Amino acid sequence: MTTLTRKLVRMVTASWGQFVALVLIVMLGVMIYIGMNTAFSNMSQSQERFYQEYRFADYTFAVVKAPESVVSRIEAVPGVIKATGRVQKDIPIVKAEDQRAIGRLTGYPLPLEGEVNRLHLLSGSWFEESPAGNVGVLVDPQFFAANHLSIGDRLEVIADGKKAALTVIGTAISPEFIYPMPDSGALVPEPGRFGIIMIPQIQAQQILNYSGQINQVVIDLAPGADESAVVREIERILEPYGNLASYPRRDQLSHAALQAELEGLKTMSDSLPLVFFLIAAAIQSVIISRLIKTQRLPIGVMKALGYSSLQIMGNYTSYALLVSGVGSVLGIALGISMAAGMSQVYAQFFNLPSTIGGINLSVVIRSVVISLVVGGAAGLYASRSVVRIRPAEAMRPEPPASGKHTLLENWTWLWQHLSSSWKMSLRSILRNRMRFAVTVLGVVFTVCLLIFALFSNDAVDYLLQQSFSMSNRYDYIVRFTQPVKYTDVAYWNRWSEVQKMEPLLEVPVKIKVGERAEDELLVGAGVTGELRKVYDMHGQQKQIPEEGILLSKRIADKLGLKPGDEVEVQTTLGIGPTRTDHLRITGVNQPMSGSGSYISWETANRLLGESQAVSAVMLKLDRPEMKSVETRLYEMTGVSSVLSPQREQAAFLQYMDTIIVFIAIMVLMAGLLGLAIVYNTSIMTFQERRRELASLRVLGFSQGEIAGLLRKETGIQAVLGIVIGLPAGKVMGSALMASISTDLYSMPAIIYPRTYLIAALLALIFIGIGQQLAIRKTGQIDMVEALKNRD
Amino acid sequence: MTSPILMSLQSVSKTYVMGEVQVEALKATTLDIYDGELLVILGPSGSGKSTLLNLMGGIDQPSTGEIYFAGKPLTSAAEKELTNYRRREVGFVFQFYNLIPDLTAAENVALAAELVNSPRPVDEVLQEVGLLDRRDHFPSQLSGGEQQRVAIARAIVKQPRLLLCDEPTGALDFETGKNVLRLLYDIRQKRSGTVIIVTHNTAIGAIADRVVRMRSGKIADITVNQQPVPPERIDW
Repeated sequence: MTTLTRKLVRMVTASWGQFVALVLIVMLGVMIYIGMNTAFSNMSQSQERFYQEYRFADYTFAVVKAPESVVSRIEAVPGVIKATGRVQKDIPIVKAEDQRAIGRLTGYPLPLEGEVNRLHLLSGSWFEESPAGNVGVLVDPQFFAANHLSIGDRLEVIADGKKAALTVIGTAISPEFIYPMPDSGALVPEPGRFGIIMIPQIQAQQILNYSGQINQVVIDLAPGADESAVVREIERILEPYGNLASYPRRDQLSHAALQAELEGLKTMSDSLPLVFFLIAAAIQSVIISRLIKTQRLPIGVMKALGYSSLQIMGNYTSYALLVSGVGSVLGIALGISMAAGMSQVYAQFFNLPSTIGGINLSVVIRSVVISLVVGGAAGLYASRSVVRIRPAEAMRPEPPASGKHTLLENWTWLWQHLSSSWKMSLRSILRNRMRFAVTVLGVVFTVCLLIFALFSNDAVDYLLQQSFSMSNRYDYIVRFTQPVKYTDVAYWNRWSEVQKMEPLLEVPVKIKVGERAEDELLVGAGVTGELRKVYDMHGQQKQIPEEGILLSKRIADKLGLKPGDEVEVQTTLGIGPTRTDHLRITGVNQPMSGSGSYISWETANRLLGESQAVSAVMLKLDRPEMKSVETRLYEMTGVSSVLSPQREQAAFLQYMDTIIVFIAIMVLMAGLLGLAIVYNTSIMTFQERRRELASLRVLGFSQGEIAGLLRKETGIQAVLGIVIGLPAGKVMGSALMASISTDLYSMPAIIYPRTYLIAALLALIFIGIGQQLAIRKTGQIDMVEALKNRD
Repeated sequence: MTSPILMSLQSVSKTYVMGEVQVEALKATTLDIYDGELLVILGPSGSGKSTLLNLMGGIDQPSTGEIYFAGKPLTSAAEKELTNYRRREVGFVFQFYNLIPDLTAAENVALAAELVNSPRPVDEVLQEVGLLDRRDHFPSQLSGGEQQRVAIARAIVKQPRLLLCDEPTGALDFETGKNVLRLLYDIRQKRSGTVIIVTHNTAIGAIADRVVRMRSGKIADITVNQQPVPPERIDW
């Protein structure tokens, strides 16, 4: 079949541009498929293995203080394979230049083999069993890097009211610290200001004054065990020691963050490549059917010679397969680089052992198979008209294209005022409905992808505005190691730098409804306060109630609560006795980030049986950042942290910088898609209407006017595609946001008007380029050749 | 001929390069076209007659020689000038009509009318070719003869000084062909424009003022018809 193969080669070389454009689309699809799927599979495999090897806890229990002996009692509970007791506390770290950081000091009982939530040593050396002199600790690698630490450096911390010195002997990671975040309120990890300090249990107990005691138990459940029964039993055992909180693995912060990321990645890796494959298939289908129409005569001749329909169909289908093949090969190379790139970015944020990376053969094979199958199917579908071609018929001249009146012409006023070139363009478009639909669809997808790429910028901007400008109007929030009396710190208001000061009392509680309970943090703030206001994710201000709770939607959904319901609230502060009260839900709030259950400062005090108590104060200063004030605050040992929204915002923006690269790549891909589609359909239109266009040239139309004619057609399709694509992009964005909304944060699809404008402009630019490349060929109309009479 | 010269071809030749082969479609040809005449160029396939017509119509450029239209040189004209020449001075009629399939008969004619400053009214021209009642039909809904008549209407609506026809009756049956010739003849009579018809059908030569016979890319001879015969009286 070598002649047929040669014919195939000529098909390709006859229209290089089209072939390249098609290959480009397939290549992009394969690249994204491989890149994302590989990154996903590598990460989830890494996660799976890490969790397994280092025994990630199934359940975590926090208590005020319990004797170590309670661990063996818990292990005896049927369903528990292993329980590990430990001490964990957030303590201030004193850094150079009066800066403070927070370290989550976590004690590990030695030897660690067989325990739950084990550590994996990355650098340096392991704990000494019985050290002499300095207390050696391990820290997480991000904190290590962000603070420019070296092995042997000393960390000065404040524990149990006293200063202590710890020596950094290495770095380590653990399944529970893959994404180290202090609490759900933080937007992004700030490794400079928060890190994990891993220390032998005995020394932790010494430093924190927990001799022979623990405040946390992590367990490994047997497969198939009745989780709720086991949990109830353990909570019963821990009851006398002050149950503070208990949560399963899926609610563990680091795991939840990693899962959210993986889920988002999976969704994208499933849907995005499909877009490219389908577009490629649609265009190939259109190209091949047009090719067959123009080659009716040669096909008829081949059939007359004795070639079967199947052989001929196979020849045309192999064009599609060739596109898929070449596109796949290129896509594989790019996809592997993309996977490597993504893995590197992820490694910056997620502490997974460095098994990320490498080629996932099954993903590569799958992508090639998908692209070949899709291409082959498109080819076969498009070439099915070959069967109907009969040799004798084919060799007769083709009947002229039939013009048809369109619906638009019923609008006589408009139709009369249209010039002939508009009429030609409109009728031509509507005659080739399939091609028109494919082009418009392609533009719609391009616009959607552009919006998708750009709106993440808007969403972040909105988030920042909400968190930093609207909700938190203070310059510093100062937290205390334990609640103090507001009157004891009220004198800060008299400092010259302080313009305003307001109290905050945060109370961790269990909210109970019947048998069910959920842990929540109630933020007690001034009802008429200026420095902390509450907004929901749509930007509506919510009033902090004088009595009752403004409950976060997350908890309300979990417990099936609505405004007007009454709940039992039990404090789990860990200091002082547990107190219970009843509060009414006055409203439900869904903030963009963090938890958001609010009560009045007075209610918070009443809950704890206190008056004028604060866990933190908010300060508004003359200027957003004032070192003098910070230094003064850090000298007080009762101060655990001084946080500045300004610095948080800066950290967040830095985090977003890495995203910019992805956005730029996405914009480029979307643009190339639009370009390739428009180029292809323009070329097809041009080739089909060569004779027509030549007649126009003979009539006296200039080259510019002919180009204008073609531009009108593309223009109509582009405008229609954009008009449909913009709202479609919004819908797609909303769907995406809804799918990645987690307990940690939920954002509406915020798309600023200027983003629509930019998306439309970018689309027009890329489409314009594609069109221009195609139109360059109009200058090449050879009138004599095109109008040759058939003698 | 006492009429002034409308177009002059001086030693014009055309060679096409097709891959590695050079085809001399037209050898050095000199010819004058008189204003208002009906000229028929006869010749078999490959004689160079269509090439000659294409050169006259400004849709092709000669390899050597000069072409003048109303005293102005066409050969050294820029692309823009050639386009304007075709727009204003030339009407072309092809063997296979070359109407725009997406436009109705009236719209096809209007398309050409839009190109010039003072065209004839579209409906008037359609009336002249006898197709006013088919103005809203598409080419696919018209017979061959009707399509050709629309093509002629399109050509004359611009009121060109030169009407070039390449095998206008080649695709038509005998009766229809004669009707088309009748139309062309009348146009020349009524409007006193210059009409050039290229054909291989020797019978058509009878209606011309002059007949140019071509063979193998050269003019074989030029005859003047003392008594041109109206189309309805010729036969083939």
